[in-house]
Amino acid sequence: MGIGRYTIRRILQTIPVLVGIVTITFFLTDAIPGDPVQIMLGPSPSARDIELVRAKYGLDKPLWVRYINYLADVSPIWLWPKATFPFVELQTGVDLGKSIYYSVPVTQKIMERLPVTLLLVASAFVFAIVTAIPLGVLSAKRRNKPTDHVARVVSLIGVSTPSFWIGLMLIIVFAYHLDVLPATGLILPWANPAEVSGAENRIHILMLSFIHLIMPTITLGTLQMAAITRIERSSMLENLSEEYVRLARAYGVRERTILRKHAFRPAQLPIITIIGLNLTAALGGSVLTEVVFNINGMGRLIITAINNQDYPLVMGTTIYYGMVFVIGVIVTDISYAYIDPRVSYGEAEA
Amino acid sequence: MSSEPLLQVRNLTTQFFTEEGTVRAVDGISFDVYEGEIAGIVGESGAGKSVAAQSIVRLVEEPGEIVDGEVYFKGEPIVEFEEDDDGDLAPTDAMLTNEEMRRNIRGREIAIIFQDPMESLNPVYTVGGQLREFIEINREVGTSEAKAIAVDMLREVGIPDPESRYDEYPHQFSGGMRQRVLIAMALACEPSLIIADEPTTALDVTVEAQILELVDELQEKYGTSFIWVTHDMGVVAEICDRVNVMYLGEVVEQAEVDDLFHDSHHPYTEALLASLPRPDQTVEELNPIEGVMPEAINPPSGCRFHPRCPEAREVCARIHPDNRDVSEAGERTHRAACFRNDAFDVGYDESPPLEMTAGSGFSAGLTGETDAEAESGGEAE
Repeated sequence: MGIGRYTIRRILQTIPVLVGIVTITFFLTDAIPGDPVQIMLGPSPSARDIELVRAKYGLDKPLWVRYINYLADVSPIWLWPKATFPFVELQTGVDLGKSIYYSVPVTQKIMERLPVTLLLVASAFVFAIVTAIPLGVLSAKRRNKPTDHVARVVSLIGVSTPSFWIGLMLIIVFAYHLDVLPATGLILPWANPAEVSGAENRIHILMLSFIHLIMPTITLGTLQMAAITRIERSSMLENLSEEYVRLARAYGVRERTILRKHAFRPAQLPIITIIGLNLTAALGGSVLTEVVFNINGMGRLIITAINNQDYPLVMGTTIYYGMVFVIGVIVTDISYAYIDPRVSYGEAEA
Repeated sequence: MSSEPLLQVRNLTTQFFTEEGTVRAVDGISFDVYEGEIAGIVGESGAGKSVAAQSIVRLVEEPGEIVDGEVYFKGEPIVEFEEDDDGDLAPTDAMLTNEEMRRNIRGREIAIIFQDPMESLNPVYTVGGQLREFIEINREVGTSEAKAIAVDMLREVGIPDPESRYDEYPHQFSGGMRQRVLIAMALACEPSLIIADEPTTALDVTVEAQILELVDELQEKYGTSFIWVTHDMGVVAEICDRVNVMYLGEVVEQAEVDDLFHDSHHPYTEALLASLPRPDQTVEELNPIEGVMPEAINPPSGCRFHPRCPEAREVCARIHPDNRDVSEAGERTHRAACFRNDAFDVGYDESPPLEMTAGSGFSAGLTGETDAEAESGGEAE
């Protein structure tokens, strides 16, 4: 089976998963104690207001009707029954409904916050991968030498330090005492210069964006960097003692080539797993980092939605998160198959 | 057979410095390999065969280290030690550097075939790609030429449809096919010597027979010398020209294969031969060597085999026999390290016989292992 067919099969497998996510989220959200309408209207509203608002958001219908309606709305394709020929009506497009709290479509809200999270996560992971992989390889190459000890201590501190604490410390040192980096907010590199104070052109925007990104990137990326370094090191060590590495040595392959090629590529499988899973988790919003640096990303959106019992927004963000997770797993699996030919072909053979 | 050996090994000593003590894995072995012959190294698991093989190309891994001896390949000093000013043994200046070993010897002059064909190929690269890489490194040819050589070699070792299998991955090959690939790899680099470290041990007997036949055929065609490491006397009989029997880090007997089988001079060799099942004899039970090989950290005094030797005498426990020529005038060289031979004059005949410590109840005697453990331990590898 080729990699193309493997990919298609994996994508088709996600359909039932997504339907499951929508179903479970829908009923769980409904089961949360409390009432969004009451939160919205404040204390002691009139019975008429309650009824009006309920009708406006479709909350007056029975649960199963709301479920079917919601499913139809979020499905890209849905067929409604119809009395006349051809007896079905096609409904296309994805509609996540309208946020009760913000009074704007959920999709709009997500699209507004998503770029912020994407930028932050991408920056943090680029930082983590670019530093961690060379560090891990070096650590394995110089096993039990000073370089290795330093790398191991650094990564141990990295995995055991809470990210919000790193964020607060960075703010105290670099924003408060040294006053060299901004403590809050994030400026998107594609923002309009006219709308950002202190910026006149694109260069300014890019610089501002970069400066704002430094501390959140370190805050979010340190844990990832430390985790990846540790796994890279142990995976490289394992591969360096494999028989095929010994064989390469016995055939006069340079030690450098062995490190970069023969041991490196098979050693990346666990790295892909951890990056895939952590990246996916981070895309759901890095709540702590966003709160510490006052960044309006997906994490804070989800928190707001839950705090206000904003049914459509909770549903929308959860479905987004489910989607990201499913896609993340598929991408991980496909990269696995790309690196290790046994994954895509070898169903019969272990 | 030319008179000058291709490979000369003299007093090669490799030790492992472990926390439990120094393991004398290879303890002063000497042997020669001549051009165009297959030299066997045979012995039980743990006798030091593999370490000896790795020492020849200086690929002993930590905490192992070659500490003494000489290995000359075509006159080049692969291993050479001399006493320095303080009287300590140190490698000589003439000894090939690691860079020279990598560039000029490994792969190019001496290739290795490892024991486990399932683990020896990199799972993430194609079989052809791996072959091609080694050919490019060791034969100084371009990519396309290396590919052509690789495909030819795959065909030569009996892989059907080599053009398409070239692009397949190791997991798409069976164990026997992978071992063929590894043989192709070794031969394709056109070395003068191939060290085969138990290459058929992981294969089943029918595949083993095919591989042995293949090697015999290709060896004749290419004239490459082999060092064939094995624990199987049957394999030795099938393909080796000359045999070195190893026991606990030492070579205890070396002879031409016929001489060794028909006129062995060491009780260990006799015992190894006696333990072979033979198709022409019906026996109730096989005849194993009693006891297990002691560990190489604290080898027994005197002759290392004496605790298990049915013919051990008191002198065997006291004096260590060297490996000397025991052939009679006019015969081919036959070396053995056993006092029973007339070449030794240590009073073996007068010495009283030793009580065998490794009898049926050896669990109390040698290592404290139970019978079951010892048996399974002996069969492993």
